Amino acid sequence: MQRILISILALSIVGGALAQQIRIMGYGGQDPAILVRLLDEVIGAELAAEGITLSYEPLEGDFNAALFNALSAGTAGDIFYIPVETAPGIIATGKVLPLDGLIDTSPFIDSLVEAYTVDGSVYGIAKDFNTLAVFYNIDLFLEAGVDVPDEHDTWETFADKLRGVDALDDDVYGACLPAGFDRFGAFAFAAGWDTFDEAGVSNLLDPAFVEAVTWYTDLVREGAAIQPSDIGQGWTGGCFATDDVGVAIEGAWMLGFLRNEAPNLQYGTTFMPIGPSGERGNFLYTVAYGINADSPHRDAALRVLEALTSPEAQQWVLEQGLAIPSRTELADNPFFLEGTPEATANAIVFEGAADGNVLGFQFGNIGTDWMTPINDALVAIMTGQASVDEALTEAQRDLTALTQRAR
Amino acid sequence: MRADAAAPLSHAEQRALEHWQARRRWARAGLVYALMLAFAIVFVGPLLFATLSSLKTDPLEYPPTLAIPQLQLRNWTAAAQLGQAGAGDRWFGGFAPGAVVPFEISYFVPDGVALSEPEVVVPRRRPGAGLGAVLAIEFAADYATVSELELRADVPVTIETPAEDLRGRQVTYAFTIAYEGEGPVIDRLPLDVTADLGMRYVESTLTASRLERRGRTASFNDVAPGLLGYVLRNYVRTFNEVRSPATRESLFLAWIGNSFTFAFVRIVVTLVIASMAGYALARLRFRGRSLIFMLVLFSQMVPLQVLFISNYLVLRDGIVTIDGFTLSSLWGYPGGMLNSLTGLVFVTALNAGAVFIMKQFFESIPREVEEAAMIDGASHWRRYWNVVLPMARPALGALTILTFQGAWNDFFWPFIVLTSPERIKTLPIGLLSFRNTYGAVGDWGLILAGAVLSAIPVIILFVVFQRYFLEGVSFGGGKE
Repeated sequence: MQRILISILALSIVGGALAQQIRIMGYGGQDPAILVRLLDEVIGAELAAEGITLSYEPLEGDFNAALFNALSAGTAGDIFYIPVETAPGIIATGKVLPLDGLIDTSPFIDSLVEAYTVDGSVYGIAKDFNTLAVFYNIDLFLEAGVDVPDEHDTWETFADKLRGVDALDDDVYGACLPAGFDRFGAFAFAAGWDTFDEAGVSNLLDPAFVEAVTWYTDLVREGAAIQPSDIGQGWTGGCFATDDVGVAIEGAWMLGFLRNEAPNLQYGTTFMPIGPSGERGNFLYTVAYGINADSPHRDAALRVLEALTSPEAQQWVLEQGLAIPSRTELADNPFFLEGTPEATANAIVFEGAADGNVLGFQFGNIGTDWMTPINDALVAIMTGQASVDEALTEAQRDLTALTQRAR
Repeated sequence: MRADAAAPLSHAEQRALEHWQARRRWARAGLVYALMLAFAIVFVGPLLFATLSSLKTDPLEYPPTLAIPQLQLRNWTAAAQLGQAGAGDRWFGGFAPGAVVPFEISYFVPDGVALSEPEVVVPRRRPGAGLGAVLAIEFAADYATVSELELRADVPVTIETPAEDLRGRQVTYAFTIAYEGEGPVIDRLPLDVTADLGMRYVESTLTASRLERRGRTASFNDVAPGLLGYVLRNYVRTFNEVRSPATRESLFLAWIGNSFTFAFVRIVVTLVIASMAGYALARLRFRGRSLIFMLVLFSQMVPLQVLFISNYLVLRDGIVTIDGFTLSSLWGYPGGMLNSLTGLVFVTALNAGAVFIMKQFFESIPREVEEAAMIDGASHWRRYWNVVLPMARPALGALTILTFQGAWNDFFWPFIVLTSPERIKTLPIGLLSFRNTYGAVGDWGLILAGAVLSAIPVIILFVVFQRYFLEGVSFGGGKE
């Protein structure tokens, strides 16, 4: 069988030693290429010396569906990606090996370990991660004569700054805010709301949630902010690249896009504004390596997992500008202090993981469908089809029905 | 007025009637043409729009316009000249040692705005997404030297706007970008020219790829692109940027090669098997003939989804395992045939529909033709090969086209069978990985270019062979 042929090189070095091939199942796109370079330049020789070879099998298309298929068919790799949004469901299959006592989780960022902990056991080591940060267009703020957002901003001062930029021009808006929980949720957390309360129920009529929804949607309704689709864009990054919005709230994934589409955009990055709870809110978007509980090469797989998340590997990935590492010790990496806009953005996204109410981008066993009723409500409110109360009452009803079906 | 319908028409009436009939004919023809035109627009329009958009720097441009710099003659000559200056290559350009690239840029400076020299920088710019972002590349910025700016022209102008007439002057600066010393040939030479707020970009040797920072910065993706490198930038990128990180081989070329190989092998296998089986079912008398035909038809009725898991397992496990020997060992794949084109041909090549079409066609050929050959002593094989098959050329042509189109566009099986490495994929699967890699960062130009390229062979095929195709449809459709 032809696989990514790192193996051949490894085999020739090992000679007689017992070769073990570890299969990794992960995302398609860039990831196969990154792994090849990572092996080539950092960890490949070491693993080869131990007689371990790797083959990477990208699952293009719907990763979660493909992984669940592979798990139930018994064809899943020895190591596979566990996206945070479906982690509870994947772990519930019982096919993921608990890593307690096998891997030392203490060097990794707590909230990342937390996102993969179920009933006290850790099931995945985060490969890398992202959080949200406030990206602002320096030229627009200068032209409008408004101070750029900073880490001391509260919701009120932040909103005032957006209004200041909005006043600059008819075509210019303070911010680009999508009607989606995947961004809005961070503000709900800043208001002190939690996805699931102590009873394990999502309460959308909680005053904190209502307050966050009101504040967020009012910005759009009063015109200080705009939805991406209203200026012909598919997402916030697209708005930001047009020079027509002062602020975009996105993660470090936007950097590559800006490099291509708006290479000269003068932007700065800062932390999310402080919410009424006195804390910032944020999402953790991440994906972890997990080990197949049925893997015939468990020890070798553990060894590979260690190598993939080793300080050397993570430092390389960081310095190549490819992803943000999950190890706390890399906080002091010189790369973060280079002072370029990209480095600063990465540093702020990195620190965002440990600042305020930070929750994984995770919705229990329901997965991302959980967001649908809330997204519908946000659209209805932003477009003026329903009041906050009406929309949230209906969303709560739909969400309850959804949760009951999932049980 | 005619009292009696049977009475002969007068000359004038006759002419009026002919006029009326002629008008009817024209009206009918006009209606048919208008309908066909509407259909053509509906079906071809999106493809045309995608093709135009694939030339743009920003295919998502909103609102979309047709004023595409890549289609302007002025830019074509400039791009070719700049490519020649950059690397002696007027088609694909580049930046080579010893190059001196001349460039000019003009600004409108309204009265009351101080004139200041713009800042010219060759930025260190790497692709932000996809494989280009992962591969290590050389930067033009490390080798380029920008000369002093020279004020070439300074003329007073007035710009008329609906609101007011703007007075001011238009200034043109000239400079060169030189590659001094030795070094590698670099693919592209990006450039940023930033002016003070208030000065307005008017034009430059090559139209700016985009205006940024509220119009202050004119940004160029490549100022030594060459003609094709400029007009077909996204197309060149699909071949250049999408490379295997291990071998640096162009993946897109590999995918095209795989798709052609797959389609070709599948056509050959289908033609051979379908024509032989079709002939046997149409002409040979043997026990169980109608049962076999029923089975062939039956296999056509079972949906693909029912069979695909068992077929997948057959491919994966190599069919039969006896002491490590599998049937697939015969074809050199002892470990199963996943991730091989051979495996893909195995699961897709047998096509009951094709057998059916051929059988129906052979039955439409008069028996007398074969009987004549039989009297001359021709065997079954000779009758098949020398008599019937040549007569079946239209059916074979139609089958070829249908099979090619099916194989070229096939998504389901390649998606399941070909997963890794990247180079083993066929075009549709490659395009999916394009979407995952580049769509996520909004780089739709590359995806559109890839999609348009993948549509070209099918379009050519249809235009060249449409006669066969239509005949084929009528065979498959209703002929007894």
